[in-house]
Amino acid sequence: MVALVIALALFFDFTNGFHDTANAMATPIATGAIKPKTAVALAAALNLVGAFLSTEVAKTVSGGIIREGSGGVQITPDIIFAGLMGAVLWNMITWLKGLPSSSSHALFGGLIGAAIIGIGFHAVNLETLLQKVILPAIFAPVIAGLVAYICTRIAYALTARHDPETGSKLTQKRGGFRTGQVFTSSLVALAHGTNDAQKTMGIITLVLISAGTQQPGSGPQLWVITACALAIAVGTYAGGWRIIRTMGAGLTEVKPAQGFAAESSTASAILASSHLGFALSTTQVASGSVIGSGMGRRGTTVRWGMVGRIALGWLFTLPAAGIVGALTALLVKTGVVGVVIAAVAGIGAVLYMFLVSRKSQVGHHNAVEVEEAGQAVRFAKKKALARARAAERAKNKNLKGPQR
Amino acid sequence: MKWLELLTVAGATLVAAVTVVVLYSLGVRLTAIAGDRQVAAPAWVKYLSYVCFGLCAIAVMFGLYLIIPYFSG
Repeated sequence: MVALVIALALFFDFTNGFHDTANAMATPIATGAIKPKTAVALAAALNLVGAFLSTEVAKTVSGGIIREGSGGVQITPDIIFAGLMGAVLWNMITWLKGLPSSSSHALFGGLIGAAIIGIGFHAVNLETLLQKVILPAIFAPVIAGLVAYICTRIAYALTARHDPETGSKLTQKRGGFRTGQVFTSSLVALAHGTNDAQKTMGIITLVLISAGTQQPGSGPQLWVITACALAIAVGTYAGGWRIIRTMGAGLTEVKPAQGFAAESSTASAILASSHLGFALSTTQVASGSVIGSGMGRRGTTVRWGMVGRIALGWLFTLPAAGIVGALTALLVKTGVVGVVIAAVAGIGAVLYMFLVSRKSQVGHHNAVEVEEAGQAVRFAKKKALARARAAERAKNKNLKGPQR
Repeated sequence: MKWLELLTVAGATLVAAVTVVVLYSLGVRLTAIAGDRQVAAPAWVKYLSYVCFGLCAIAVMFGLYLIIPYFSG
């Protein structure tokens, strides 16, 4: 059971990585600051480094949402297994839909669902849930969006060049922002590594402690850190191209100065929140920043329909992952056979979604292309779209070799 | 409820992002002026742009210093 949970946790880490590549690298890819392949490789390397830099977060992973420890309830590997199953499946579904959604929320949702079934409703600390998950989910995009909006305005105001006599526009020469994007997006990737790999380390440590192979209260072991860092880096390198497309081209048209402003805001928000202790979700911050920077530049339209879809996805993250977690917990409760059924069903579901994603690339992909091409005329920069698409195509080719 | 913490985070985010963006934008602007062909810009403009980029880099480094517990303890 312990080995199974660890394997699942590492897989969750992997999905987390490829789900969140978009946060750091969608905007530089969209503006052409970094080539797609280079971008994901850079993000993967920085995630790897980031995962090793800090293990502070790892100790406080479930963060009191489920009352654990003395006086509370005992978290068993079974419940963690069920929770992870919920998180992994929800991550795969949102990836299939190309929706940037918070991996941590999926994890929380799955754990909550599993705990309610496995232990009872009293196991969930509603106040902490509200404070740690629901309110930050509302404020993260708002704060990041607002800051990105202000930064975009500032960046454009400061670099707007007019001829003092005639008042006509001079060449704006904003190419410098493209170089700047390389650094800001790297910062986001690094911050992501320090944050998100921690969650899995925390989970695995929790399992080891509850199984009695590790002292309670001790930090994660070196092999755990290494495994998690590698899993998240590989996931990042695999790249969630669907989500990158959404973030880079689906929300708004992104120009270098905007991208720079958005990434600065994302990086600042993540760093500030992780340093000052009001945890914000990386995904939600990044999405908010992109939207904010879209509103900040004159002549850009934010595609609110897409924003709505993403918001809806966020709304469903917690309950949906929770339901899967709860169902898995029910299965696991029945004993060894249940565990096997749950594991097989989970693997089957993941494989199925993977196959659907590969098969539908051609049909579904073309459909999106047509649909988006119509909108691209009005909203999105064609070049960026084409680039994202080319990236996806190249990716597909690599994945499955020649095909029609 | 940790409203104060929320406000701190919002404020810190704003300050940090605005600092980086203002410095970098100034740098970009000054580089553009220094590169102008028709109107010859004074030499100090170019160096000032370097100063801006440098300060921006320092601001980012400070951010890194803050998040990496190895340095900040």
